[in-house]
Amino acid sequence: MIKKDVAVIGAGMTLFRRRLKETGKELSFLASKMAMEDAGIQKKDLDMVVMGTAPDAFDGIHMKGENLLDGAAGAGKPYVRVFNGGGTGVFAPIAGWWHVASGVADVCLVVAEEKMGSCYPHPQTAFRHIWDPILDRPLNPNLVWLFAMEMNRYMTVHNIKKEDIARVAVKNKRNAVGHPCAQLADPNITVDDVLNSEMMAWPVQRLDISPPSDGAAALIFVSEDVARQYTDNPIWIDGVGWNIDSTMWTNRDLYFPRYVAKAARMAYKMAGISNPRKDIDFAEPYDPFDYKELHHMEGLLLCDKGEAPILTREGVTQRDGDLPICPSGGLLGVGNPIAATMGQKVCELYWQLAGKAGKRQIPGDPRIGVGQAWGDIMQMATVMVMRR
Amino acid sequence: MTFLEKQTDPTAPLHWRGNMQADYLYPNGVAGDKFFKHIMQNDSFLATKCDECGKVLFPPRLYCEDCFIEIPEENWMEVPAEGTVRLFTVAKLNAHGKKLPEPKIMAMIDIDKTDGALLGVIKSNDSERDFTGARVRANLRPKDAREGTLKDIVNWNLI
Amino acid sequence: MENRKEEKPTYPKYAPGTHVRTSDIRDKKITYTWWEPEIQYAWSLGNAMSKFLQGLKEGKILGVHCHKCNRLIVPPRSFCEYCYGPTEDWVELKDTGTINTYSVSYLDPNANRIEEPILIGVISIDEAYPKPMGFMHYFGEMSKDEIHIGMKVKAVWKPEDEREGSINDIKYFKPLGGGE
Repeated sequence: MIKKDVAVIGAGMTLFRRRLKETGKELSFLASKMAMEDAGIQKKDLDMVVMGTAPDAFDGIHMKGENLLDGAAGAGKPYVRVFNGGGTGVFAPIAGWWHVASGVADVCLVVAEEKMGSCYPHPQTAFRHIWDPILDRPLNPNLVWLFAMEMNRYMTVHNIKKEDIARVAVKNKRNAVGHPCAQLADPNITVDDVLNSEMMAWPVQRLDISPPSDGAAALIFVSEDVARQYTDNPIWIDGVGWNIDSTMWTNRDLYFPRYVAKAARMAYKMAGISNPRKDIDFAEPYDPFDYKELHHMEGLLLCDKGEAPILTREGVTQRDGDLPICPSGGLLGVGNPIAATMGQKVCELYWQLAGKAGKRQIPGDPRIGVGQAWGDIMQMATVMVMRR
Repeated sequence: MTFLEKQTDPTAPLHWRGNMQADYLYPNGVAGDKFFKHIMQNDSFLATKCDECGKVLFPPRLYCEDCFIEIPEENWMEVPAEGTVRLFTVAKLNAHGKKLPEPKIMAMIDIDKTDGALLGVIKSNDSERDFTGARVRANLRPKDAREGTLKDIVNWNLI
Repeated sequence: MENRKEEKPTYPKYAPGTHVRTSDIRDKKITYTWWEPEIQYAWSLGNAMSKFLQGLKEGKILGVHCHKCNRLIVPPRSFCEYCYGPTEDWVELKDTGTINTYSVSYLDPNANRIEEPILIGVISIDEAYPKPMGFMHYFGEMSKDEIHIGMKVKAVWKPEDEREGSINDIKYFKPLGGGE
């Protein structure tokens, strides 16, 4: 069914900040150019381009895939924009993968962009419009409520203490110190800082949340037929998975993300991974909130339900632990320009597996990594497994 | 599948009304900022030349979208705020479908010495004529009123 | 001689982009374009939601069955999203339930800070199934220290003449006191 193996040969990423001067097109160009330089590829070599970018309401440009295409080397190419909310950061590379795996493209550029700083008075304003207009919006909800409710449910079912969740924010903001694009790296942050930060919607506090950001990231995917022409050190995509649960979120128990488990099983089956806890060396689960990293470790079947906070407390998920989680610094440390978090969730897998992560490098030559994103109304999961 | 039950109460609600309110602040971008800051001080435009394909890109860009290379600083050039109408249309209704007090002549104007074009409104009392090929010059706001957006170009005068 | 490991470069090797601070905008250091879109919508309710809102107007919470999946669904819909079959047999449900999860929010919808927190959460309606089966709403007549997952609650309705066929026809859910 899969005609070609797919390799990653280059990656690029812009600065992540609350607001950048560059337009979305310019950000797309800067990330794409870096990835193309890294891979030794020019626009004429690209067979196809995939753009991943989340709600139009952030950038404030309807059909923003079309607006961005000039900056993504898409002009005059087969080009498509894919989008599934927060899941886009890993779904865009999944789409890039199938362009190549199907045999229709040998070289495919994947670009991911988000510009949340344009939305006023706050990017939260755009998030208001993702709720059901009839059942939810008349209650005037803030999106943070949704995460707060999920976090509370998760904490209550497993009897988890807030300080065990705060450790994730501390780890990721410290991990981000080695990342040149990072928005909220902090080498000195402590659990107490997180626990004493401003209460937003209990149990969510200021430092439990990743910041809204502008940014872009890019990847070059090639088929097995041409990979060796460009590099001696390709990184292979071994498995992809995605799954979405019902939109009726008030009819689901949010304590466990069963759709993440389904997406993970799909990807692991494709990658021939029968024991993810043993086979996977490190992971980049989606961490827009600190509890989400734990929730997603469990969804990715890397530990038992309710076990992720314990592993975190024991230091297993540190960069030098047995199962490093979010060595990039994640969304909590590097920033959260929704789709462009491809930079932490997939570009980072490439940099780590290629031994290019420098100051962020996981010791011990990791061989297999898994990246994951999550979005919509607590329902979308996208998963990618990569191998050295 | 067919739905088995129907709402038959004629007094039952049918619609829920709302909006998608959010406001936007678009930075004009790296190239756009330079372009608009130039217009705030001058009565001319800026364009960028791509060394690879030789095109003079207008509005100016950070990169050439065809060759996908960055435009170096020295390839920025000044061009006159004048051009030739390539295409035009005459609008008689506004965006909400209401009749405009005066017909509005919207044109795509090829900017002199560039390979690019800009949309603009042509100032003319004669909305019946053919404007194709007409020479036009940008009518800019007084310098002290310019704010660094496209609105600094009020409209285009026939030369 | 010391055999030092060569320092490898960190990728990405550089981080392109120009940070803009709020003060840069206030002080007009960069130019920008401002836009306030105006778009209005009238979302069709469809059969199921029309009936549900009509029910709320009459002070009733209505549910509908999917017999195939053994579900009594609220909020009701015309089809079951799991078996993709049509739903049937509407019933009026008691307006009592259990708090499935909640939050104590110090943020308004635009992320502005508020002093008096909003109590918000998901109510699993007692007679609906399988659990959790319910909807989001506010809580009242309880403090932020009293609210907890598993708390039994009951709807507090607006007076009949103020109800308009909206989720807000219920004002909030209050603790289900003894004897009710």
